[in-house]
Amino acid sequence: MICRHLLVALVTCTVAAGLGSVSAALAQTPSGAHVPDPARGAVIAAQGTRAGAPGCAQCHAFNGASDGSGAFPRIAGQSAYYLEKQLHDFSSNARVNAIMSPIAKALTPDDIADLAAYYAALDPPFLPLPDPTPALIKSGEPLAKVGNAAKGIQACDNCHGPGGTGEPPAIPYLAGQYASYTALELQMWQRGFRKSSPHQMDDVAKLLNEQEIAAVAAYYQQVRGSAGAAASR
Amino acid sequence: MAQRLKPVDVVTIGVGLTGSLAALELAKAGLKVVGLERGAPRYTVPDFQSPAIHDELRFSIRKAMMQDNTKVAVTFRNSSDETALPIRRWGSFLPGQGLGGSFVHWNGQSYRAQVVDFIYQTHILQRYGKKFLEACGPELTIQDWGVTYEELEPYFDRFEYLLGVSGKAGNIKGQIQRGGNPFEAPRSREYPNPPMKEPYFAALFRKSAERLGYHPFPQPSSNLSRPYKNPEGLDLQACVYCGFCERYACEHFAKASPQTVILPALLNRPNYELRTNCEVQRINLDSTRKKATGVTYVDAAGTEYEQPAELVLITAFALSNVRTLLLSGIGEPYDPWTGKGVVGRNYSYQTTGGPTVFMDESININPFMASGATGTVIDDFGGDNFDHSNLGFIGGQYIAGTMTGGRPIEFHPTPPGTPEWGLEWKRAVAQHYNHTITIVQHGTSTASRLNYLDLDPTYKDAWGQPLLRMTFDFPENDIRMSQYIADKVVEIGRAMGGKVVVRGGAKRPYTTTVYQATHNTGGAVMGDDPKTSVVNRYQQCWDVSNVFSIGGSSFPQNITYNYTMTIGALTYWTLDAIKDKYLKSPGPLVQT
Repeated sequence: MICRHLLVALVTCTVAAGLGSVSAALAQTPSGAHVPDPARGAVIAAQGTRAGAPGCAQCHAFNGASDGSGAFPRIAGQSAYYLEKQLHDFSSNARVNAIMSPIAKALTPDDIADLAAYYAALDPPFLPLPDPTPALIKSGEPLAKVGNAAKGIQACDNCHGPGGTGEPPAIPYLAGQYASYTALELQMWQRGFRKSSPHQMDDVAKLLNEQEIAAVAAYYQQVRGSAGAAASR
Repeated sequence: MAQRLKPVDVVTIGVGLTGSLAALELAKAGLKVVGLERGAPRYTVPDFQSPAIHDELRFSIRKAMMQDNTKVAVTFRNSSDETALPIRRWGSFLPGQGLGGSFVHWNGQSYRAQVVDFIYQTHILQRYGKKFLEACGPELTIQDWGVTYEELEPYFDRFEYLLGVSGKAGNIKGQIQRGGNPFEAPRSREYPNPPMKEPYFAALFRKSAERLGYHPFPQPSSNLSRPYKNPEGLDLQACVYCGFCERYACEHFAKASPQTVILPALLNRPNYELRTNCEVQRINLDSTRKKATGVTYVDAAGTEYEQPAELVLITAFALSNVRTLLLSGIGEPYDPWTGKGVVGRNYSYQTTGGPTVFMDESININPFMASGATGTVIDDFGGDNFDHSNLGFIGGQYIAGTMTGGRPIEFHPTPPGTPEWGLEWKRAVAQHYNHTITIVQHGTSTASRLNYLDLDPTYKDAWGQPLLRMTFDFPENDIRMSQYIADKVVEIGRAMGGKVVVRGGAKRPYTTTVYQATHNTGGAVMGDDPKTSVVNRYQQCWDVSNVFSIGGSSFPQNITYNYTMTIGALTYWTLDAIKDKYLKSPGPLVQT
């Protein structure tokens, strides 16, 4: 209970601080008549909905940085368009995930738009993470920035923006994303499980081996781009 | 004194589209091939990667991928009574430099030529008569190519599959196909990949073209609609519609270029050697002047080499092909006063220029969501697809809703009456950027005895050799053609809902400062008669049978369409003739 009070108190100031970027994110949302309401999104993030969706904050944290386990992606500052699309894809089973699909199904389109607007506007600090492996990071960097000539792989930054800060609204940031999440998603594309995005990603993922996936994911985890700035573009 | 190198079988002057394709075919046939490229080596990874590759100032404005005209420029004048000056800043056309040549920075627009294009003179005389043609302009010098579409069809097909062209067939073996170009020449099969996605501006164009009774089709594109493995075993990826094709290299392995569709299969061959930063000075001839002994070139350190070779292929940009022939003394230079001579004769260009359509501000075009070859086209006014009997001109243009990207430095449309600079201009750009459509008119350039290439009497390159001089203006015939079609395009623009439609169409004088097309043709044209052509139907020099001049320079006059596919088909055609005929019995492939 104490925790919840604290969260609600936080809602007001975070949203106020983020208003400038919220309005920019709103312009990009495809949800038609409904004007996304980040304040209502914050309430859902904290408390969940009566229809049975649990609060997002339980896993993704109220500030969208998620916990440091890497099981849950960082979603703060991801573009509202992208977040909405993922939730709709989970809901329609275009993107399948045992945890996210039932949650997304319990959300209405308006809930989704409000949540996306809320999380898109946040720019929380990054959690300190254990044991960076310098060699792994170093081997991931050229792939991220330049690509691999022998394998015909272009740099990730071509689409995901310089420094992996994203090309909103459609293309998510990678900078600061948890390595285990990035690696898992690349494996999902590689093996044909993630089908909700343009085929560019499965083509690229299929060219990567396990070590390259680990390396590029480790590299991006420690890049500190300005995700908030990217999302508000 | 030039350092003499070990002899090889083949040397190519230039390693772009034709140079790399020729080298691959001949290296596969077991010949020792050397490729000489005047520019630097460059590869998709690392050279074409972002963010550097999307530097609009560097590539579009400062034209970093183009021929270094501080070293080798082209001089220009509109007519023989003027003094030509060097083009110090590329504008109207953009010859590429560096490994892969202009085939790296192209847009990927991938049309075949038509059946009648190759028998142009015969066809025009047959359909309209000699009097009609003379009335179009007594200075016009159109002629046949010496090769037919039927002969080239298998090579068009092969080249399309090498590139992975994305499109919709309009005519398969004479059967008209729904959704394709009903005017296209019959093809043996469908394109290797389906068409690209249609941007909004192209959809608006398609709908109004349909309403007006025209036949829209998706532009064939060498930016790929899906991942593709070409017959050389090379993988291409799908285009992401970033809008940086023309003047740029593709970072995504999604645009066909030597780097993506040819070079990886060539460079690892032990009998191929690439030498970059090598400027060829001339082709050397023996004392009979009927046989080439090799080439002389200068490397980046300034050292001069003589590279002996059995076979010399001139595979540079069209203008450089002609200059190489002139500098080497191969073929008789054209004399515009007597009409005699052939090298430099029938230089032609491309007649372009379409309207700008200013839409209502509620219509968001998002011009940046495009590739160099997305869009929708009609060919109802292409070539001789319409009756010219009462029009007083020959030739035509395709009309295209094909914007190649809304890059911010280059694309800032403003309606007439807007100041050229200052606050009002800025306001107008912001107001119209996302609500303006440009329509392309792109068509034939009729050869004329007044237009030609020769060596400049005054200006020299960095090595002290004369520059190429271009003498060109649009023939009146082409102005009439372009202006006639301009009226039709204004109708389309109005039907699209344009509030203001600024009429297009070409005007005299031709200027080199405004971009029009990098489709310079002719000057070393192909044909059946040595009096009116430099090379025979196999692009083999009439005068020196172990020299072949390959590329756009061989076009007797220019066709309606972007010429890359036709150059590719001609290259394969010539290479088959070399492999199947010439190598078995070196000498002239056509007897005079």
